Amino acid sequence: MGVNNVMQTGRSGLLAAKSGIATSGHNIANANTEGFNRQRVQVNAEATESKNGPKAMIGRGVRDVRVNRVNDEYVEKQIREGNRNLAFTEERDVSLRQVEDIFNEMSGEGLNRVMTKFFNEFRKLSNDPDNEAIRQSVREASQAMVTDFHRIRKEVDEVRKHIDSRITGYVREMNALGEELKELNLKIKISSIGGASPNDLLDRRDIVMKELASFVDLQAHKDNEGSYVVEIKGGGPFVSGTVSSKLHAETSPADEFGKVDGSLDIRSESSNSPTVTQSISGGKLGALIETRDKTLSAISGRMDEIAFNLAHAVNEIHSQGFNRYGQQGVAYFKAPEQIDRAAEVLELSDAVRENINFIATAAQPDAPGDNRIALAITGLQGLKLMNDGKSTLDDFYNSIVADVGVATDRNRSAMNQNKDIVMQLGKMREQISGVSIDEETTNLLQFQHTFDASAKVIQIADEMLKTILDLR
Amino acid sequence: MRVTEHTNFDLVRENVRKSKERMEGLQRQNATLKKLNAPSDDPIGAAKILEIRTDRVNNEQFLNNARLAETFLSNTDHALSELSDLVVRAKEIAIGQSSGASANDDTRKGLAEEVKQLFLQAVSTGNRRIGERYLFGGYRVHEPPIDQDGVFRGDGGKMMVEVSNGVYLPMNVTGPEVLGVTVQERPREGDENSQVNRTPAGHTGSEESSGTNIFDELQRLRISLLTGDVDSVRGTLEGLDEVHGKLIAARAMVGSRIQGIQTATNSLERQNLTQANLSSSLEDADMAQVVADLAKEETVFRSSLASSQKLIQPTLLEFLR
Repeated sequence: MGVNNVMQTGRSGLLAAKSGIATSGHNIANANTEGFNRQRVQVNAEATESKNGPKAMIGRGVRDVRVNRVNDEYVEKQIREGNRNLAFTEERDVSLRQVEDIFNEMSGEGLNRVMTKFFNEFRKLSNDPDNEAIRQSVREASQAMVTDFHRIRKEVDEVRKHIDSRITGYVREMNALGEELKELNLKIKISSIGGASPNDLLDRRDIVMKELASFVDLQAHKDNEGSYVVEIKGGGPFVSGTVSSKLHAETSPADEFGKVDGSLDIRSESSNSPTVTQSISGGKLGALIETRDKTLSAISGRMDEIAFNLAHAVNEIHSQGFNRYGQQGVAYFKAPEQIDRAAEVLELSDAVRENINFIATAAQPDAPGDNRIALAITGLQGLKLMNDGKSTLDDFYNSIVADVGVATDRNRSAMNQNKDIVMQLGKMREQISGVSIDEETTNLLQFQHTFDASAKVIQIADEMLKTILDLR
Repeated sequence: MRVTEHTNFDLVRENVRKSKERMEGLQRQNATLKKLNAPSDDPIGAAKILEIRTDRVNNEQFLNNARLAETFLSNTDHALSELSDLVVRAKEIAIGQSSGASANDDTRKGLAEEVKQLFLQAVSTGNRRIGERYLFGGYRVHEPPIDQDGVFRGDGGKMMVEVSNGVYLPMNVTGPEVLGVTVQERPREGDENSQVNRTPAGHTGSEESSGTNIFDELQRLRISLLTGDVDSVRGTLEGLDEVHGKLIAARAMVGSRIQGIQTATNSLERQNLTQANLSSSLEDADMAQVVADLAKEETVFRSSLASSQKLIQPTLLEFLR
């Protein structure tokens, strides 16, 4: 074995140490980079040439200096799932908190109060049916109640609009991520041809996958070229190697799943069905769709029912009564014709709105002290008008408030649970792939020493060469 | 196990976050004095509170109703007592003038004048009102129910008031009921229908009296006295007794109604008290508990900060100088 070879051995050691130092430097620099996996230099010992006879297999240094990332695909996958569940609950929390605000009467006015006031103004009127001032305040209380029905409907619609604008944004983000994933798949394929591991591209792709998974329930696997194939569950293929599809959010008429007219439908280019709104689930999109089409639609439906039943029950009694002009048959409310959107269109009848003398209190004409109609209207408060005769108006409304509270509360504890799970998974990932400054510092020292020692080897080889050249 | 900088910092961040979140919750309770600030804090409790609030507002109205009815009824009682005194006086006159011992045409003429005054007094008592409403007019509250001839112009309408949830009491007694008068028929369109009957509202004044009424009897007595017909003077006694009996019965009824109202009022007030307790236990924060928890939480927060400081500070680099 020649002295030159010793020098080569030293050189390979120098190179390996230098890669080690550079990699540790890279790790330290990226210690705070989101989704970064620490990298390790992997080398193999250079095989011996057995020129010196079988008895002395002398090594020839290191070769195949490779830099790999330390990463556990299974943990990555779990993190994607954990993140999707967390994103679902977080997204739902945002909307549910808005809904809860609409019904929060704990400190302030709300439908419960104005409805109670409505009935009690009629009680006052029944004590003094002919009193001008009380008639006035009966009308005002009724108007306040109508306004609060409108307010609730409007605010629920606003939450719905807010959700739609988020859906638009998320669909756009998903399409951009799909595009990026497709490009990353291609870049990684090309970079891997030489056998190298494009670590930082792989990291980026993991991040993209994680983000993509937070939007909706996905199925993902790697094809035999190492490219990700992603299918949206219930929404068709999304990215397949170097091909990507797109989602679109478009307004459409109401459907039977609770989507109202004019809110957004999601269409997938790769799916045969015209809409995938109801078949996709999970993640931020799943949360928004569920909140919009189930929670909100149920609430506005129930508000409509209250408004509809109340208006018709009051009208039925009121129109039998005699007003101050001795007329019968005047409606109190402009009653909605159908339950759908009843809370929105409910108004006082024109007659009552314009003239309080049209408020009927008497069951017979020419009887200013007759309070039977007013009494019958107050009686509606305790009557089980809702839910097929099982609940009063109050009970029915209060149960909406309770249901919103339960949904918010339940979702919040699920969210906290998911937070803990994601936290725990993050810790697992950190244990495997995270950068430890202490560790990297130690590595730096270690490689520095190797570098020094390898340099020494070269120096010694050089001296050996000199010694040999000096032989005369 | 590998412990990395991220793990350390995440742990610190998470501890601080959780601790601050708990402190904020306590702080909110401290500021609002309420533990229930949104339905999700206690959904079932929130619905219960709404229910209690409705009940309390309703009860307040029922108490007002009861006060109104009580005033109306005790005024009615006064009027009835005056009427019954009046009838007693008429009876004395009738008895005195029908025996003939000390009575003659002159005394009868003089007493006929007194009976006329009694009649006018009865009319005026029959037209007694509080505020703008006549006590005995039924639903026709705005016109005097008895005219100068003693003819009844009101109706038999009963004004019901709700004195507690679902309990209705008539707050007036009607002319036909207590004075024995008859309702004058007026043209009327169809009333009485299923909807209205859902609540126990009073019935219309189609009630017929038994024939004797206070005004007619007084008039009869006066005319008998004027004509000096002793037999017919004696004949009025039976009618006057009947009228008196009706008034006594009416006073008993009014008295029992007032008592009923007082019972209802008492139970409403008791109910208000228990409900105030219940709603307070549902929504009010236990301040001693909140303050103690806050102090505890602060200690936890401080010690977590202190341990974080120890965890974060040293790295190997500090020893490599």
